[in-house]
Amino acid sequence: MYDTDRRSSRWLWATFWVCALAGIGLFFVPAFIIRPFRYQAPRALLFAIGLRDSAPLWTLLAALLCLVFAFALWRVSTRWGKAVVTIAMLLVGFSAVMARINYFEWMFHPVDNAQFEGEAQSKLDSGEMIMAVRFGSDARAYPIREMAYHHVLNDWVGGVPVAVTY
Amino acid sequence: MNGRLLHFYLAGINNQNFLMRDKETGSWWQQISGKALDGPLKGSSLELVACDELSFGQWKSEVSTGRVLAPVAKYEKEYDSKWEAEVAKLPVVISFPGTELKSRDVLVGVTLDGVARAYPWDTLVKQSPIVDRVHGTPLLIVVGPDKLSFRAFVSRIEGKDAEFFLKGDTKDWVLLDTATASEWNFQGCATAGASSGKCLDRVPALKEYWFDWRNYHPDTTIYKH
Repeated sequence: MYDTDRRSSRWLWATFWVCALAGIGLFFVPAFIIRPFRYQAPRALLFAIGLRDSAPLWTLLAALLCLVFAFALWRVSTRWGKAVVTIAMLLVGFSAVMARINYFEWMFHPVDNAQFEGEAQSKLDSGEMIMAVRFGSDARAYPIREMAYHHVLNDWVGGVPVAVTY
Repeated sequence: MNGRLLHFYLAGINNQNFLMRDKETGSWWQQISGKALDGPLKGSSLELVACDELSFGQWKSEVSTGRVLAPVAKYEKEYDSKWEAEVAKLPVVISFPGTELKSRDVLVGVTLDGVARAYPWDTLVKQSPIVDRVHGTPLLIVVGPDKLSFRAFVSRIEGKDAEFFLKGDTKDWVLLDTATASEWNFQGCATAGASSGKCLDRVPALKEYWFDWRNYHPDTTIYKH
């Protein structure tokens, strides 16, 4: 009886860990590969993109499954065991939340509602660099200082949809 | 893309060149190439729009009713006027030892029929206008009167190759061509002489760091003189 309990508890732990590591890895592995100031090998990048794409769904499923195992483990665990389950669940939950968030936009804020001013109203110095796009009579200037902060802007110039990026 | 409107957002970084995704399909796009690396639109390329990198003063002198992207009030304080000097200090993750340029050297890169050539910025400022040949096409690369703006053109007038030089005897910035002895402005249009009213064909040119240009154009040559 004691042996069976231990075996089933070992199984529970093993399944819980597989599920928890999958949930945690789905966020952390691509985040680790696609991190600034580090080299991205082409295959590693595609692998990371693949994980990142599947992460929103699978981190959620992993979190739900982990939760089921966590409940089962809770009843048979010591205080240490419970602490480990709690930490793992926090990480799994964190991973599931982060997989849905574009944390790159925490650093580089997008322009949600681009406003334009006439060239005469602009306070830019004449030596400031801009990116210029023109379609027909619609001429636009995107100050590089501003674009070096926001990096991406979706706009319409002379009826043409343009993605401006720096 | 194929008649479908896409909206882009920043989604990651690939060796210090940004990755964007579009909200509509979730595909992943490389900033420098406009190509989709992955996702439903994998393999597609966005069309490159004619774009200039100019000083605000130069741009104002060329347009009559231009509109300027206004600063976003919430973030205006965070815009860094010294961003260029700051970025130049950042580490790089890929380098090409043994090449003539250093990773953060700035250049103007041009691609013609898939053949890439890099013009180191310092050389360009010193020697402008540069007339060169890329894959058989004569190319004119000029830095503007402000020494900040730059443009590239096919150096050919009515099918004939031409050379250009700066007119010396005037305070104004004027280019002269050797084929028709006409005067040209920084927009690549002839303002006086036999070619008056004609404009040169534009060639897309990108101001870039050497490491990024070399990474995406492994066969690029470097202009030197």
